[in-house]
Amino acid sequence: MSTNPNNAAPVAKLKIAKYWAASCGGCDISLLEIGPNLLELIKIADVVFWPCAADFKYEDVRNYPDGYIDLCFYNGGIRNSEQEEVARLLRRKSKSLIAYGQCAVDGGIPALANLKTVKGIFNASYHDNPSIDNPAGVEPQPVTPSEYGDLEIPRFYPQVLRLKDVVPVDYEIPGCPPQSDRVWEAILALAGGQVPLQNRNVKVACYDKAVCDECKLEKRNVRIKEFKRVHTSIPEPGWCLLEQGYLCVGPATRSGCGALCPAAGMPCEGCYGPAGDVVDQGTAMVSAIASMLDARTEEQAQELIDQIADPTGTFYRFTLASSHLKARK
Amino acid sequence: MTADRHPHRPQSPPAEAIRIGVFICHCGGNISDVVDVRRVAEEVGRLPDVVLSTTHMFMCSDPGQMLIEEKIRELGLNRVIVAACSPTLHQLTFRRTLGRAGLNQYLFEHVNIREQVSWVVEDKAAATLKATRLVRAAVGRIRHLQPLAKRRIMIHPSALVIGGGVAGLVATRDLAKRGMRVTLVENTPFLGGRMAQLYTLFPSNEDAKELLGKLIAEVVHHPLVTVHTSAQVMSSSGIVGDFRTKLRISPRGVDKRLTQVGIAMAACPEETISEYNFGLTRRKAIYMPYPGCWPQMPAIDWRSCTKCGKCQAVVGGKGIDLAQEPKEIEIHSGVIVLATGYDPYEPMFGEYGSGIFPEVITLQQLIRILDPEGPTAGQFVVNGRPVRSMAFIHCAGARQYEGINMPQPSGKVNDYCARTCCTAALHQANEIKERFPGIEIYDIYQDIRTYGRGHENYYERASERGVIFIRFDPMRLPKVRHDPRGEKPVVIMVQDMLTNRMDVEVPVDVVVLATGVMPHDISELVDMYKCAVGYDSFLLEVHPKLRPVELAVSGVFLAGSCQGPMDITECSAAAAAAASKAAALIAQGQVEMDPFIARVNEDLCSGCQTCLTVCPYEAITRDPRKGVAVINEALCTGCGTCAATCPSNAIQQFGFTDTQVMAEVEMLLADMMPEPLPTGGSHE
Amino acid sequence: MSEPANTAPADPRPAAGPNWQPRIIGFLCYWCSYTGADMAGTARMKYPPNVDIIRVMCSGRIDPELVTTAFARGADGVLVCGCHIGDCHYITGNHKTMARMPLLKRILLDMGIEPERFRHEWVSAAEGEKFSKLVAELTEQVRRLGPLDWPGLMRARGVGHGMDLKAWGE
Repeated sequence: MSTNPNNAAPVAKLKIAKYWAASCGGCDISLLEIGPNLLELIKIADVVFWPCAADFKYEDVRNYPDGYIDLCFYNGGIRNSEQEEVARLLRRKSKSLIAYGQCAVDGGIPALANLKTVKGIFNASYHDNPSIDNPAGVEPQPVTPSEYGDLEIPRFYPQVLRLKDVVPVDYEIPGCPPQSDRVWEAILALAGGQVPLQNRNVKVACYDKAVCDECKLEKRNVRIKEFKRVHTSIPEPGWCLLEQGYLCVGPATRSGCGALCPAAGMPCEGCYGPAGDVVDQGTAMVSAIASMLDARTEEQAQELIDQIADPTGTFYRFTLASSHLKARK
Repeated sequence: MTADRHPHRPQSPPAEAIRIGVFICHCGGNISDVVDVRRVAEEVGRLPDVVLSTTHMFMCSDPGQMLIEEKIRELGLNRVIVAACSPTLHQLTFRRTLGRAGLNQYLFEHVNIREQVSWVVEDKAAATLKATRLVRAAVGRIRHLQPLAKRRIMIHPSALVIGGGVAGLVATRDLAKRGMRVTLVENTPFLGGRMAQLYTLFPSNEDAKELLGKLIAEVVHHPLVTVHTSAQVMSSSGIVGDFRTKLRISPRGVDKRLTQVGIAMAACPEETISEYNFGLTRRKAIYMPYPGCWPQMPAIDWRSCTKCGKCQAVVGGKGIDLAQEPKEIEIHSGVIVLATGYDPYEPMFGEYGSGIFPEVITLQQLIRILDPEGPTAGQFVVNGRPVRSMAFIHCAGARQYEGINMPQPSGKVNDYCARTCCTAALHQANEIKERFPGIEIYDIYQDIRTYGRGHENYYERASERGVIFIRFDPMRLPKVRHDPRGEKPVVIMVQDMLTNRMDVEVPVDVVVLATGVMPHDISELVDMYKCAVGYDSFLLEVHPKLRPVELAVSGVFLAGSCQGPMDITECSAAAAAAASKAAALIAQGQVEMDPFIARVNEDLCSGCQTCLTVCPYEAITRDPRKGVAVINEALCTGCGTCAATCPSNAIQQFGFTDTQVMAEVEMLLADMMPEPLPTGGSHE
Repeated sequence: MSEPANTAPADPRPAAGPNWQPRIIGFLCYWCSYTGADMAGTARMKYPPNVDIIRVMCSGRIDPELVTTAFARGADGVLVCGCHIGDCHYITGNHKTMARMPLLKRILLDMGIEPERFRHEWVSAAEGEKFSKLVAELTEQVRRLGPLDWPGLMRARGVGHGMDLKAWGE
């Protein structure tokens, strides 16, 4: 989309924002990865808040009128109260709030912490750890008195939440990170008015079907005889990795990434979350993989299942916060 | 881009408002004595979309059904719930009631509050709560039900009978008499099966081969019957009403033009053991099992034939074709009757000395020896020596115990009773006493089970004629040993229960093992037709009392001893029943099947192919053009396994969609959910 | 920051009260286990009312998602029953169940759900007594473990809640 083909009065530029919550920075990089299209982007949009790349403060955002931001990309999961408070702030100040990347959409990698208790996490971070020297057993406190007054830090939440768990979300861009090509397509569609700015949890920058739809590896319709890991054996090229016994989560994962990983001989890890209508990616994969085992008795089935080292981590790697159970008791 | 589709909401909103009628049955007190049905009706009546919630004394009665019909018309109900006994009893009744009232039969939900509530819960308050929960769950589910149409399949008016023994022949004859076209296929080159290996039959003492000959004549001369011998079933596909079976007809090598049969057979230099005589004799590679066999011409056993051509040469080439090719034909039939029969038990090597001592033979071998048309012309001679004393040992290969009896190579023992062997053994005992009065007979048994009509006579007469009965304890099997220095070659050592466990030694010339039966190995057919098989490896009927000759697979029937040990009388009855059922099915012209099949949503199917190998009926294939899975709705039986397997939720089973089943779960636990959220986040 | 004010009203849900009864959802296949349960009824065997039965045609239809949904929605226990291996009305439908349930069980354990809460058993049409004993045993085990109350747990952790938090600066 170009700004002004007829040399008329300039069209108002979109105001975009990008915030990072509990994240790794990969999503911010993935937006930059649109490459030359960055030049197109800055023609049509102004950045009004982007902690990773620009020097705006929270105060600036508070001072914006409500709905000032047109497109707000929120990446990262919600691990603490600051992240939730900023989410609420940005919701008020944005016309369209877009959960960007797996952490914001489904909890992502941070949500795997939901398999541990808060006590367990704090223990590993501050006490029981070979590289920590903390004889006094100090743990960060929400409030610490000091000569400058009470110093407050955000509260650590009992489990990682998704963006939509705390505020209504218009669009979701899955992926860890989302593929830049798809992201640019989505931005163009939003900027060009092809889809309304307001919506409810609609997935964009991706396709409906599972990765197998994009994957070029050949299926032979055989059952799985044993499970393998890529660091202990080399896959046969051209043949479906799951059928070979590598834990490829492709059948239960949304496509849009171009099935890049299987094409490179690496099993899909599931980073685009569940496909189609599916809510719970892990149970979808359990169903599929259990149906593919070469087992005629309970003992044979158990033997094969025992070869899967970490089913929860493998099938919910990027989506634990979206599972029905969401977190450990 | 994807649309916002909450998977637990229906894909499209219903066209009209849902109007649910709930009818709760007192069942004459069976339910209402425990469950407060009026209270349940009240509670359920408060739910949205429930237009009517009422009770009735007997819902399944005519007035009860009339009530439903009336209310459907009067109140414009478009969904009906009946809470009553188990759906296994009256689900069909109520579905038909809806049909009569002009409502689609499948907009109905049957809740079980009798067998699973009032009859099993003691506390009335708890029972009432439970019944309320279950009916509420049905309300949740029924909102999502869609009208469905029964599937109709036209039935091809013909039958395929597999197995040419007495059961197969009776079934074929009865089907043909009813005007059905029948194709009878037999694995071996000759019809007759095991009955052809007998001589007199109990209890009538009729001649087996003569009777068989009459039956065969009725069958092969019937204009509606086609017989294929030397035929193997290579593949079978399809569904009731439309089965397609590929047969491979092995070449016989001989045709009707051969007149000098005896000379041709004598010229053959190759010999092999005779299966017909259970290994007692040898036969040529070109052979006829017995003089009256059908077809009345030899067959060539290609495993023994070396194609030397001597038989051909000696008859001038007329009627023998050693270069004959097999052919493949396809049979189209509406029903299939399995009559594949049994094999008599062959003792394990060493079992009671079998295979080690030549004096130990089986009952089936004894019958061949005593047959006047048999290898010894009916003389009681074993291994060239006349027999003056013999013993039967019952239950060889039947009523076995693990750890006591020798197991099969598979490790299993035959723990079932083979039924017919007691009568058969005592029948032969009587025959021997009749024809060879001086012979000593001992009958060493576990129990005497001469259960059939006229069979007890054999036991009594045997006793009267001086057969000595010795009863053994199954935990202490008789032992057979050679006695080279004794009067008799073989001695049986047994502890006799009839004389308070006296240890007895029985010296005899011959030991005859009264052997049990095992089903003839049809593992390929079992796979092809997806038959259920019991632990004892016999084919399993749907219900032993109510549907004894039907398999769970629609359109496939059982006839005879493939289903379990039975004598010719019983095989005949079973075959007649199977023919009757099969004919009745064909006469219907079409079959109606429940519509709970699965379907693939091509917009969601990623072509992952996980479902392809999951279907027990091989109903799922891949469309190579579209790259999606396709379910053959004629083959789908509605198990829903594929629907659960699909990791994209692309497969849904009608009547059991995710939405419908989830709605039940959610309604059952609705009171566990906290208050709705105050601030915008989601519950998902 | 101060501790969140407890602004939630008193919890009216059954899991919270003193009269708590285990709530167990049972998924039964129509041909074997459901008929087995009926048989217990025909024989008037008595067993606790805590298992609410949902019928499907084959245990192969039981998606693991149904089990996790049941727990997530407040079930204290889940029971899955099918035909014995080799006896499935649909021949091999229960082979899939046979593999899915043990794999699911590992995930449930990782989520902190005690193994006694999830039972997977084969019940034939003739095993009414087995069914009634199974229900009694499972109910008792779950009773001893106490309520699971997953919805309450999630709510307490602020899932879709955050009632006490305001947008920054309000």
